[in-house]
Amino acid sequence: MSQFLEMLTYDFMQRSLLAAATVGAVCSVIGVFVVLRGLAFVGAGTAHAAFAGVALAYLVGLPPLLLAVVFGLATVWVTGVMEEQGRMKLDVSIGILYTATMALAILFIGLMKGYNAEVYGYLFGSVLSVTPDELRAILALSVIVLGLLLAFSKELYFIAFDQEMAEASGVPARKIFYLLLTLVALTVVVSLKTVGAILVFALILIPASTAYQLTHSLSHMTAYAVVIGVACAVGGVLLSYAWDLPSGPAIVLLATTIFFLSVLLSPKRRRAKTA
Amino acid sequence: MTKTIIRFDHATFGFPDVIALQDISLDIAEGEFIGVIGPNGSGKTTLCRAVLGLMQPLSGSLQIFDCACEALRCRHRARIGYLPQKGVLDKNFPITVLETVMMGRYGALGLFKRTSKRDRDIALEALSHVGMQEHRDHALGHLSGGQQQRVFIARALAQQPDVLLLDEPTTGIDITTQHSVLDLIRRLHRDLKLTILLITHDINMIRSSVDRLVLLKTRLYAAGPPEDVLRPDVLRQVYGKELVITERDLIIVEDYHHHH
Repeated sequence: MSQFLEMLTYDFMQRSLLAAATVGAVCSVIGVFVVLRGLAFVGAGTAHAAFAGVALAYLVGLPPLLLAVVFGLATVWVTGVMEEQGRMKLDVSIGILYTATMALAILFIGLMKGYNAEVYGYLFGSVLSVTPDELRAILALSVIVLGLLLAFSKELYFIAFDQEMAEASGVPARKIFYLLLTLVALTVVVSLKTVGAILVFALILIPASTAYQLTHSLSHMTAYAVVIGVACAVGGVLLSYAWDLPSGPAIVLLATTIFFLSVLLSPKRRRAKTA
Repeated sequence: MTKTIIRFDHATFGFPDVIALQDISLDIAEGEFIGVIGPNGSGKTTLCRAVLGLMQPLSGSLQIFDCACEALRCRHRARIGYLPQKGVLDKNFPITVLETVMMGRYGALGLFKRTSKRDRDIALEALSHVGMQEHRDHALGHLSGGQQQRVFIARALAQQPDVLLLDEPTTGIDITTQHSVLDLIRRLHRDLKLTILLITHDINMIRSSVDRLVLLKTRLYAAGPPEDVLRPDVLRQVYGKELVITERDLIIVEDYHHHH
């Protein structure tokens, strides 16, 4: 116990836990809309695009989060236009952008002289090494994302349930859809340093999918997702410190375990069995 | 004199290369119960989308509540409650009956406004109009098809509309439930003095309920009391071989389900 309390006195640990809790909360709230609106793959594609932005930033000497935002936003907006115009199925367009941006990231890394550990930190996540500046950026972006999610929550729920119906009811559904895509991209950027480009998608998807198993109410789903997301992110960091594990995988594997438990215990599953 | 609240004036809808509705002129008066019929692809759903403001006329005009503006998001659209065609609902989608009906308030409330107790009371009243108040905390996905339709009608009512636009409200539910949903619509028309636009393929079901029928096949073939529109010569022009008129004067559009 004293070891645990001592751990909490370290600056780097306080920063890590705060970053993890913030990222856990933001990812799980946006995840609710991603899961309900069927945009799961968009998160994965955006994460890889944002990583390509980070790699380019290190190559040319620009702020990594800035280019991560630019690449992430470009990818979600192109995906949104393609879906809207019905030119291509969403999974195909995002699949192409996903691999293309990953190819760009590999290209940029290849053009760098020597090994750059910081770039790989964004790929795999390293919450224990979050700096005070990075924490401030994470908190600022999170406040923006959560504020917008709260301000537009009723419209976001409506388009997640039925976008055309929302449009017909006078909700500017198209604009809200693009806002959702934008917030997905910003969330990915917020989370890059903490869980890494490869695993951020899991933190968006898993807490929301776990909450989906446990309730029949939209508002409850969001509340459950936040509790699960924050608990997994903080729990993962503690496990990572205690057992000297990489933080990103610790967070995601903890969340995955809870997801499978929720599937087993889901009232929806029990109902399906008895139906 | 009854006030006209929807006016199509030589309105054409669709895309420049595919016309869905051509040269439609039609006045709908306040408090009317209109049935819109026609074969598949006749433009029924386009008419619906036009009234909702999801499509603008390529030529001519469509005036709603004295408003002829072209803005798709005109505030007058919030006065139209809409029941879309019954889609496939994910039975596990986490939404309760009351949460579904509350969505009917969102368009009228506008951005940045939170729902209040008044909105909740309006939603509960809408649920009581359709006889579903006791199900308010139930999961939407656990209800039967007919009950879900009632909830979606309540969502449209929660908008406090002047016009109720119903796209195939009885399709995909069993025959007994079809009658009870239609009874509900008739009651709402009578008690709430709503103007009803009901789009359907089921002529038999609605012929005795509506004030006027509108018969479409890209153009407006006929509009008037059911006995004037449902004449064999008129119907044969529109439905062709799909139409069978039995001895009891029942009209059956064959092969409807084969098209779906």
